[in-house]
Amino acid sequence: NEHSERMKKFKNKGKDIAALRRQRMEVSIELRKAKKDEQIQKRRNISMDKSLTPAEDEANEIQLSLEKIVECVNGSNPELQLLATQATRKLLSRQKNPPVNEVIKLGIIPRLVEFLTYEDNAPLQFEAAWALTNIASGTSEHTRAVVEGGAVPPFISLLSSPHMHVSEQSVWALGNIAGDGPLYRDVLIKCKVLPPLLALVEDLTPPLFQVGFLRNITWTLSNLCRNKNPYPALEAVKTMLPVLSCLLVHEDKEIVSDACWAISYLTDSSNDRIQIVVDTGILPRLVELMGSPDLVVMTPALRAVGNVVTGTDEQTQAALDAGLLGVLPRLLQHPKPTIQKEAAWALSNVAAGPCHQIQQLITSGLLSSLMEVLDKGDFKAQKEGVWAVANFTTGGTVEQVVKLIQAGILKPLLNLLLAKDSKIVLIILDTISNFFLVAEKLGERERFCLLVEELGGLEKIEALQTHDNNMVYRAALNIIEKYFSTE
Amino acid sequence: MELSDANLQTLTEYLKKTLDPDPAIRRPAEKFLESVEGSQNYPLLLLTLLEKSQENVIKVCASVTFKNYIKRNWRIVEDEPNKICESDRIAIKANIVPLMLSSPEQIQKQLSDAISIIGREDFPQKWPDLLTEMVNRFQSGDFHVINGVLRTAHSLFKRYRHEFKSNELWSEIKLVLDAFALPLTNLFKATIELCSTHANDASALKVLFSSLILIAKLFYSLNFQDLPEFFEDNMETWMTNFHSLLTLDNKLLQTDDEEEAGLLELLKSQICDNAALYAQKYDEEFQPYLPRFVTAIWNLLVTTGQEVKYDLLVSNAIQFLASVCERPHYKHLFEDQNTLTSICEKVIVPNMEFRAADEEAFEDNSEEYIRRDLEGSDIDTRRRAACDLVRGLCKFFEGPVTGIFSGYVNSMLQEYAKNPSVNWKHKDAAIYLVTSLASKAQTQKHGITQANELVNLTEFFVNHIQPDLKSASVNEFPVLKADGIKYIMIFRNQVPKEQLLVSIPLLINHLQAESIVVHTYAAHALERLFTMRGTNNTTLITAAEMAPFVEVLLTNLFKALTLPGSSENEYIMKAIMRSFSLLQESIIPYIPSVITQLTQKLLAVSKNPSKPHFNHYMFESICLSIRITCKANPDAVGSFEEALFMVFTEILQNDVQEFIPYVFQVMSLLLEMHKNEIPSSYMALFPHLLQPVLWERTGNIPPLVRLLQAYLERGANTIASAAADKIPGLLGVFQKLIASKANDHQGFYLLNSIIEHMPPGSVDQYRKQIFILLFQRLQNSKTTKFIKSFLVFINLYCIKYGALALQEIFDSIQPKMFGMVLEKIIIPEIQKVSGQVEKKICAVGITKILTECPPMMDTEYTKLWTPLLQALIGLFELPEDDTIPDEEHFIDIEDTPGYQTAFSQLAFAGKKEHDPVGQMVNNPRIHLAQSLHKLSTACPGRVPSMLSTSLNAEALQYLQGYLQAASVTLL
Repeated sequence: NEHSERMKKFKNKGKDIAALRRQRMEVSIELRKAKKDEQIQKRRNISMDKSLTPAEDEANEIQLSLEKIVECVNGSNPELQLLATQATRKLLSRQKNPPVNEVIKLGIIPRLVEFLTYEDNAPLQFEAAWALTNIASGTSEHTRAVVEGGAVPPFISLLSSPHMHVSEQSVWALGNIAGDGPLYRDVLIKCKVLPPLLALVEDLTPPLFQVGFLRNITWTLSNLCRNKNPYPALEAVKTMLPVLSCLLVHEDKEIVSDACWAISYLTDSSNDRIQIVVDTGILPRLVELMGSPDLVVMTPALRAVGNVVTGTDEQTQAALDAGLLGVLPRLLQHPKPTIQKEAAWALSNVAAGPCHQIQQLITSGLLSSLMEVLDKGDFKAQKEGVWAVANFTTGGTVEQVVKLIQAGILKPLLNLLLAKDSKIVLIILDTISNFFLVAEKLGERERFCLLVEELGGLEKIEALQTHDNNMVYRAALNIIEKYFSTE
Repeated sequence: MELSDANLQTLTEYLKKTLDPDPAIRRPAEKFLESVEGSQNYPLLLLTLLEKSQENVIKVCASVTFKNYIKRNWRIVEDEPNKICESDRIAIKANIVPLMLSSPEQIQKQLSDAISIIGREDFPQKWPDLLTEMVNRFQSGDFHVINGVLRTAHSLFKRYRHEFKSNELWSEIKLVLDAFALPLTNLFKATIELCSTHANDASALKVLFSSLILIAKLFYSLNFQDLPEFFEDNMETWMTNFHSLLTLDNKLLQTDDEEEAGLLELLKSQICDNAALYAQKYDEEFQPYLPRFVTAIWNLLVTTGQEVKYDLLVSNAIQFLASVCERPHYKHLFEDQNTLTSICEKVIVPNMEFRAADEEAFEDNSEEYIRRDLEGSDIDTRRRAACDLVRGLCKFFEGPVTGIFSGYVNSMLQEYAKNPSVNWKHKDAAIYLVTSLASKAQTQKHGITQANELVNLTEFFVNHIQPDLKSASVNEFPVLKADGIKYIMIFRNQVPKEQLLVSIPLLINHLQAESIVVHTYAAHALERLFTMRGTNNTTLITAAEMAPFVEVLLTNLFKALTLPGSSENEYIMKAIMRSFSLLQESIIPYIPSVITQLTQKLLAVSKNPSKPHFNHYMFESICLSIRITCKANPDAVGSFEEALFMVFTEILQNDVQEFIPYVFQVMSLLLEMHKNEIPSSYMALFPHLLQPVLWERTGNIPPLVRLLQAYLERGANTIASAAADKIPGLLGVFQKLIASKANDHQGFYLLNSIIEHMPPGSVDQYRKQIFILLFQRLQNSKTTKFIKSFLVFINLYCIKYGALALQEIFDSIQPKMFGMVLEKIIIPEIQKVSGQVEKKICAVGITKILTECPPMMDTEYTKLWTPLLQALIGLFELPEDDTIPDEEHFIDIEDTPGYQTAFSQLAFAGKKEHDPVGQMVNNPRIHLAQSLHKLSTACPGRVPSMLSTSLNAEALQYLQGYLQAASVTLL
């Protein structure tokens, strides 16, 4: 009703919930090294699996010059075609500096694509598919060469090839193409990659099951879920989700990991898309996976759930109902800083919720975890912890904020006023103001002043009055003038 | 202006004149330069002069003039003309870098500043080749040039250390990293190599080390926002070299100067900062290097001397250790008992010692000494850093650390006892250790609030502190006296009250000490003791307990103000204020003498006010004297006016800006003390208060409005009868205030007082104009703050003049205006009104509109009746709507009431909250019920039908509650 609408509006002092809940990536420019724990976007096939290439024998391997390759590939002798294609594939599969640009310059891609359609020559199809896979695994330019060479339709047809190794190599190639970005991902979806791909998952049941193959499929699926601007079409997402849900309960951890990554991409988006994921009912499983001892599983599961709690209050509630708060404390103390950080980020988004969710944080004992993060956590996790406190003090009731203070949050929070990060310092100052508002409501302003001073906060705030950042210095000055000026 | 020799000549003449000591020559020359600086080529003429002039003095003068010109004019402000023509801008940017680099150092600095000002506006978009131009110079091999580039880069990049993360900022940093990081790294390596090849060449080393310092600073700026990929990949190079520089020493770089830090110290100090930055922010990546840095920095501390020049280095180095030792995963680096002992012995204790430089400051620069020692502005001192390290270590090792230091305290006290006059510094160190170690939580107001178990604080007090303070001579061992007094101050919450009472006469006695530090500390300690709270929120020390000491306390306090160096001592003045406040009526017998001394002091300092705190407490003390005395004897107000008005007149006549806001506040206080009609002495001043020049200073506005309100409260009739010609002036003030977003609330304060107190007849002719002015402001810039004040005003008007009058005045401005105001302002915005009294005014006003305004019942306004009632119930029942539209957030800090830097509000001149409807309406909800009842009796049936058709259910429920509470029903 109108009244509760209004109360809701007042509770967060007019700040939009969306502004409190912080989506991933505030800044699109990165100074850092690309993150090591991200999922790989493109992969080259450098393994030499002998059993798949019976025709080949290391001993009488023939080294062909590039000119000779062009000649043979364009020629009509099937044996030479195979030999040259294989030689190309080997060049592209070598461990160091594969000559991708050189091969592209040979202009043989259209011909390799054509080989994909030679249904009666599975070895040639396989070698061509492998070579193209490795070209597509390079830069965007390289991938483009493959796509513009017309490889997409034949690769999709090959998904249904009776030869399993050909089909698997095609899955891999398509994964690389999908991983290039939203444009090619959508090209694949438009070319109807999904039905045959998903059918493969169904076919891959014992006795035909091969774990490597299913890993490849899962990875390709994850690339089809990946990337924003635009997101993958809703229809496609809805087609993939049931399969992904099944993959999440697989016993192979790499499959589970890639399925989690896929879900994490789908949830890194707008609330209506998060809702589709929530509706599948996989949150309890994801939360369970957050507790996995394997970093490869825990990392994407945490991300997926972390994304869900950026959503609406109801979506966040679904994550809470799935047991999120039970697993967070351990993750908040995880030795790996990025895990700490992601967990603290999730916590900050729960703290941005309505007060009954904040209450759950309290009753689940998360305050002491939050205190620990602020006190001893890695700097990145500490920053997220500061956001959590800030959100908590914005949305929490007076009693809840008092609980936060009683949990001892103030000391580590005030210590972080020394952080070498202006934004965090400003947020802490704003949070201190929020604490003061609560203290005033309780008629405890004096006691709170005392507490801040005792904990060494006052001297730090005073020192911030000479901060070079205008907003920081003003906020500090404002607190000093309002609460600590002489009598 | 053409680029001609003639113009260069003219410019040279004028520049020369600007250096003339005679203002009659200097000023016109400055004016002339200002008048021509808008001309094209002017900056290029300056650049030509600073490069080619024959006279060095002209070169320097031209460079300074150029930099100032850039500072004033380069930025293009929206809606203002571009002050530098485009071709000049292009020419400047094309020439300034080489020019800077080829100039001698004095001029180079000016041009480097100018480049960073230009860079702040134009870099990178409008000055894309700046970076490459700079980087190319790294290869020149000329370190004079290189240092110029580095210095400029530093001033361009140092803002990365404090600005918020943003896409724009990070793209700039990325651009800078791409172009700059690799060349900087190569330069770093090359410079270090050159340092070893030139290890025996002092002058070369100096230049090279200046480069290294700048490079280290640039490293800090470029790594501040996040760890850049490049620096992560090259961490080995940087950290290995930083590490070896930390351990490097070279006799040739050691300086003889004891005070000024040398190049080696500056470099190492910056390296400590860099390591601390990495340790805090990039721990994961930095971990492999950290233990090495801990060892190096620790060794550095052990081998660095006590000279002042090492202070920054030592405190930075200790702070680094302090921040590392409290991190759980580095705990093991400190765990070993030998390590702890050695840190305590070799790092902490030596840095807590009272040094010759401290002794010098104690005697000759006591103000600075007090500021550092008492107010904690010692953030960069060694002692402070040592304390922080102790606190950090205590996080994991409290027991062992306390054990080590207890032993130290005892041995130092024994040393002292052997020969006090020689070994007094040992006792100082012991006391310092106790005060810093025993204190885990300290506040100015309450002193130490938690202590640890190092020593028994009371025993230590009785055995080691009191004896010093009881000694016959107040001037012997001043440092120990100061330590003792400080001990009382710090541990006042731990030491039992009896001991504090014993200390009070001792402290009063030390007000007579010659040492500024000692008598200042005594005053401060007394002041702090007097603010302590006992049970029931009364002061711990009562006026009765102080009775035997009143006279000697007041005498010594005022005498202390006559001691050399303390004539404007803010601590003493604050102690005076606090004593008055504690002693209350027991000071009355001394008031005649006190007020004479205070007015004399006021007169003296008004010649040249320089100590704002001192002045503030002086005025507070004056206010307290007035309050305390007039409370007992209201007629005494006359004698205060007699004593003060002469000085006040002088302050006003001499326009002593710092004091004028205080004078207005004291006058308001005095005027409010009068029970009868306003005295003529005040009326004589009235016209002067309306002078526009007074209102131009923001600091004057709040106290002046307050004073005018006092005039209106006490003298509205007199103004109406004897000064009616001044009413337009009064409204002029209102008009000026209302036009400003910052001051509009002050305008409303004034307007509300006019409406409330002036006889209606006297303002009749202006009323419509007032409303028109308010509407104009509403149209031009509508802010939440203005709306809130506006709502309070119209409701007050309604209460005072009646609802019908309100409706009529709106509709006389424009037909149907009243309905628009109801619909567009009152109903949607009333929830924003804040403040108890303000809400009450609005409630009563709206009740009147609902129940005493016939057009609300039978015109097109009737449809607004229920929405208005609903809004009123919302005002009663819903939480306040404190949302502020986004675009107004920026005025939040600057322009809201209460935030006025220039205005110093006196606590003891405080105004009581005034409730204009206080007597009329007690409970506004009941009042609403009763008024509705009255209305329904006048037109039976109407009210219930309006309620039932459109009032929402929840509101109706509340309303029924009011009716019940008032025991009335609606007919």
